[in-house]
Amino acid sequence: MPMYTLDWFANFGFSVLRLSTPLIFAALAAVISRKAGMLNMALEGMMLTSALAGVILSGFTGSVWIGLIGAIIVGVLSGAIIGFSNLTGKTDLYLTCIAFNLAATGGTVFVMYLLTGEKSTTSAAIRAFSVPSITIPLIDKIPLIGKMISGHNLLTYLAFLSIYMVWFFLYKTRLGLRLRAVGENPKAASSVGINVTKIGYISFLISGILCGLGGAFMSMGWVSFFMKNMTNGRGYIGLSAMNIAAGNPVGSALAAIFFGFSDAFATMIKGRGGDFPTEFIEMIPYVATIAALVVMNIIRMGQKRKIEQGVKQK
Amino acid sequence: MNKTRRIETTVELVRILVAIGIAYLIALIILYAISDDPVFIIKQFVLGPLSSSRRMGSIINLAIPFTFTGLCFCFMYAVNKFNLAGEGIFMFSGCIVTLTSIYLGKSGFPPVIVIPLLLVVGAFTGFVISLIPAYLDAKLNANIVVVSLMLNSILVFLSIWILKYLMRDPSIGSLGSLPIPESVKFASIFGKFKIQAGIFIAIIAVIVVAIIFYKTVFGYKMRVVGSNPNFAKASGINMMVTIVLAQLIGGSLAGIGGACEILGNYDRFKWVASTQHGFDGLMVAVLARRNPILVPITSLLLAYIRIGADVVNSKGDIPIEFITVIQGIVILLVAAEEFMGGFKKRLIYKAAKDDLKSDKEMVVQEILADDENKIEARKESME
Amino acid sequence: MAQEVLRMDNITKIYDNGFVANKNITFWLNKGEILALVGENGAGKTTLMKVLFGLESPQSGDVYINGEHVKIENTLDAIDKGIGMVHQHFMLLPSLTVAENVALGIEPMKKGLFDFNKAVKMTQEVADKYRFNIDPLSKVEDLSVGQMQKVEIMKVLIRGAKIIIMDEPTAVLTPQETDELFEQLLLLKEGGHSIIFISHKLEEVKRICSRVTVLRHGYCLGSYDLENMNESDISRLMVGRDVVLKIDKEDPKPEEVVVKIKNLVKINETGKKVIDGISLDIRKGEVVGIAGVEGNGQSELSDVLCGMDTFSSGEVRINNQDIVGKTVHEIRQMGLAYIPEDRMRHGCAADLSIKDNIISDRFFLPEYCKGLFMKHKYIDQLVDQYIKDFEIACDDKNQPVRMLSGGNIQKVVVAREFTSGSNFILANQPTRGIDVGAAEMIRKTIVKKSRTEGTATLLISADLNEVLECSDRLLVMRKGKIVAAFPKANEVSEDELGEYMLGIKTMTAKEMENVL
Repeated sequence: MPMYTLDWFANFGFSVLRLSTPLIFAALAAVISRKAGMLNMALEGMMLTSALAGVILSGFTGSVWIGLIGAIIVGVLSGAIIGFSNLTGKTDLYLTCIAFNLAATGGTVFVMYLLTGEKSTTSAAIRAFSVPSITIPLIDKIPLIGKMISGHNLLTYLAFLSIYMVWFFLYKTRLGLRLRAVGENPKAASSVGINVTKIGYISFLISGILCGLGGAFMSMGWVSFFMKNMTNGRGYIGLSAMNIAAGNPVGSALAAIFFGFSDAFATMIKGRGGDFPTEFIEMIPYVATIAALVVMNIIRMGQKRKIEQGVKQK
Repeated sequence: MNKTRRIETTVELVRILVAIGIAYLIALIILYAISDDPVFIIKQFVLGPLSSSRRMGSIINLAIPFTFTGLCFCFMYAVNKFNLAGEGIFMFSGCIVTLTSIYLGKSGFPPVIVIPLLLVVGAFTGFVISLIPAYLDAKLNANIVVVSLMLNSILVFLSIWILKYLMRDPSIGSLGSLPIPESVKFASIFGKFKIQAGIFIAIIAVIVVAIIFYKTVFGYKMRVVGSNPNFAKASGINMMVTIVLAQLIGGSLAGIGGACEILGNYDRFKWVASTQHGFDGLMVAVLARRNPILVPITSLLLAYIRIGADVVNSKGDIPIEFITVIQGIVILLVAAEEFMGGFKKRLIYKAAKDDLKSDKEMVVQEILADDENKIEARKESME
Repeated sequence: MAQEVLRMDNITKIYDNGFVANKNITFWLNKGEILALVGENGAGKTTLMKVLFGLESPQSGDVYINGEHVKIENTLDAIDKGIGMVHQHFMLLPSLTVAENVALGIEPMKKGLFDFNKAVKMTQEVADKYRFNIDPLSKVEDLSVGQMQKVEIMKVLIRGAKIIIMDEPTAVLTPQETDELFEQLLLLKEGGHSIIFISHKLEEVKRICSRVTVLRHGYCLGSYDLENMNESDISRLMVGRDVVLKIDKEDPKPEEVVVKIKNLVKINETGKKVIDGISLDIRKGEVVGIAGVEGNGQSELSDVLCGMDTFSSGEVRINNQDIVGKTVHEIRQMGLAYIPEDRMRHGCAADLSIKDNIISDRFFLPEYCKGLFMKHKYIDQLVDQYIKDFEIACDDKNQPVRMLSGGNIQKVVVAREFTSGSNFILANQPTRGIDVGAAEMIRKTIVKKSRTEGTATLLISADLNEVLECSDRLLVMRKGKIVAAFPKANEVSEDELGEYMLGIKTMTAKEMENVL
């Protein structure tokens, strides 16, 4: 495809939004946990299990919607497992999440093998289903923008809608207020009769819903099959996005879109072919994540220093 | 209070054994449920690893890399940093060591020089790589788990690139490096057990690490920093140096592990995906409760289960991946404070209640009478 | 016969570490009375109240409210039964508004959403009814300590509590704020509320309570009418002997300056000046006390002096060496010993042994190690000696610190800091929350070290008794500034101190000139 035409830009923009989708879900899931005072690093495993559940359930029932709901339910169940281990079993959260991700990586392959006899992908064994794409009337007629934002998978629109919903939930509802209270000072919250453990569970369960959607997008939107370890670090990238924006839902989503951009960029270069080794292109999303974390923290520390020394240079 | 201490230690030990027992039981139940011939498969899983000297040797050979990565995570753990770079280091160090060995093999230096040199290269690789997450965390407060995991992904691609462009053997069909020179490969010892000579390096490593942990000043610093960093800071311990250095030592050990694995068990480098040795090491360290002396034991245990899974995998219809699920369960059970916490609490409450009964002389009336006496005595002495 | 609103029967509470905090305690409260619950630190007062409020579950015992047997399993149960608790450490969310804090847990709703305006209205109503002068819209982080306490009381009242637990409410207040609080409490009493008042300050107990219940070592020593008891009767019941709060000390003979602080300024992350131009000398052989309401820059000053935190401008010299850019280690080498405010956070590592805790500031010295290795034998002997000298009650030196009582943990801390050979001791709240015996030992040692060894001491404390008793010179800090300086601590009254702490009075630079 010739480069830098209007079409090219439209396509690239489309691809950025598409690749941002799972990252936005993951980032928002991380935001919910963070506001409840927890760093949820199990997003990766939660998305992975949901992705597999979606494919299997839709394949066996023949309904994409049952698959989608199944993915969400499995995401919520994963959240419940992590909540149980961390809140009821009092396991260190880091270890819980690492153990869960480990089990999810192997467990999904195990289940896939049991059901299909395949070990790397379900593409041949299970009938493919995709959540439908939606063309937005009128807007799709606008040049450039129409092509960029119309015709996406339903879940992509849902991801952007979720940004607002998560914000609304956190700042406008009672549960959101309580959740933030628990995150800020669990003792204070429990002293007024708020059940801290319950709120913790709720935060993991909501995280689970979002991860379920993210996982479903991976296996029923982005592609239409499950592949071994297909989330490929997206859970962690979503977590970094939250980290960069210090838990602000809108900022986290923007950071997620930036990572989606770097993903799209890598895909675009790879698509062009050429001599450049693909290995280095594949690294781009990961390098971008580390770089973004580093830059953001340098900026933050610089600001802090400036405020503290502010009066010194007069 | 002495009782409480004893109860805590005992329960801790029982807990780990029960956790492993439960996980093993779950493994057996899974095997039973999904296999067409469960009795045969379970027998293979339990006894298979011990059925031949070759397989017993395999257990030990597998435990060697686990020991290295396990020790690596003991260091990360000791300073409370979840630096997961050990995973990527293991693979990348294997890659770099292979590359170096291919070049050094041609140079004609005697193996006595080349082998230690290769180990140093492995250690140095680990050292340099673990510096990245350690430094970014210490200086810039960048989430160490995220950074180290991203780094692991990067290292996988970097290894593949090196394999493809710097040392690929075009004469073989699959993707693999040029052969590692025979002269630098570790000898196989103990006859038919075929145990690789890396075992000696592993044993030395365990001893050295145990000394570092329990006898040296640095070990003390790690203990304080890991136990309460705020206190370490207020005491004037240089936290940043301790934390970073511990991770560098840990990374170096993972690097040596990668070197030993390649030189001991392989003819050429052909890893194209992460080897999972790092995460296995994490489990080994968790099971060993951060105690380096226990690392070889838990490594052997994990290796035994792994070889069992291997045997089952080759004999029947069970994919080896189910083991990672079991592994996750073990980590969760061992790390869960509340797992058997009720049992521990009941023991402690009971001990405390017994004490309460035994200090009968402390009943209220006697306390008050005792006070009177003391006050009287004091008044008298003052007069 | 007074009507009994609350009875707790045979309460036994054992903590997970095996510590028995309450031993078969029986306790009751009458309608419309203010009951004092007294006892030393660690006697089990707070635990008993946590059991009542559903924060801790006891191993055995029963609770009756208005004669009815009730089960209190969590705070919600307690609130339902009309029990409210004002915690010693405020249970507030600083980033939220007063209204949100007050309404949390009983949030008014409109169309399924949190109704903020209604919350503001509710808060205003309570404030008006009980004459609290607080703006529901202000953020809690901007309030003073006294105001925060009022928010806490409002939280309790809005939930309709009839039984109110006040856990050491006056510990953080100035004398003037205390007066105000007491008026409020009497008002509540008249309104039919029953109040449990926990305090160490016996004159306060005498002032507003009608009955006292005494706890010691987890036992209840009985309830007494206060009419026929004086303060020393109560204190004898509390500790089992007459407490001598006076420390005999000769006048100091201050010599050369050990610590010199000049125009010290510290701006924190939010851009607030938490230390605002402090200048001060501490000389050899004297104890300088700093009083003040907590959160007026004392913690920051101690963090800066020991090198835990940086400062924005000014100069600090210890033994004539500049501390700017120096690490904690280097400052300790200059001659600093540091008893931190929060012993569990900065004073010890709970999971490590007494031995490991005692050597944390000196393990690198040649006596303690040889090359890379520790000299365990020598260290063992030394630590055993310290355990004896400082009367640390423990199994042995290898016992983890977390298994000790608060007073013994603090003894481990001072065993380290008092033996470090430093000539400047920075003691921040050195006796907070520990039993009288340990506190007395620590205070006496501070004074003794200044007299016999010529140690320079900076004593920061919110306990007015402590600063008045131990200090030679006494300063008052408010809003990051020194607002008063007295040459002789024993000539200052608590009320006078309170006026400076509250900002009712401020000394001019000229008045303080010769004292700093």
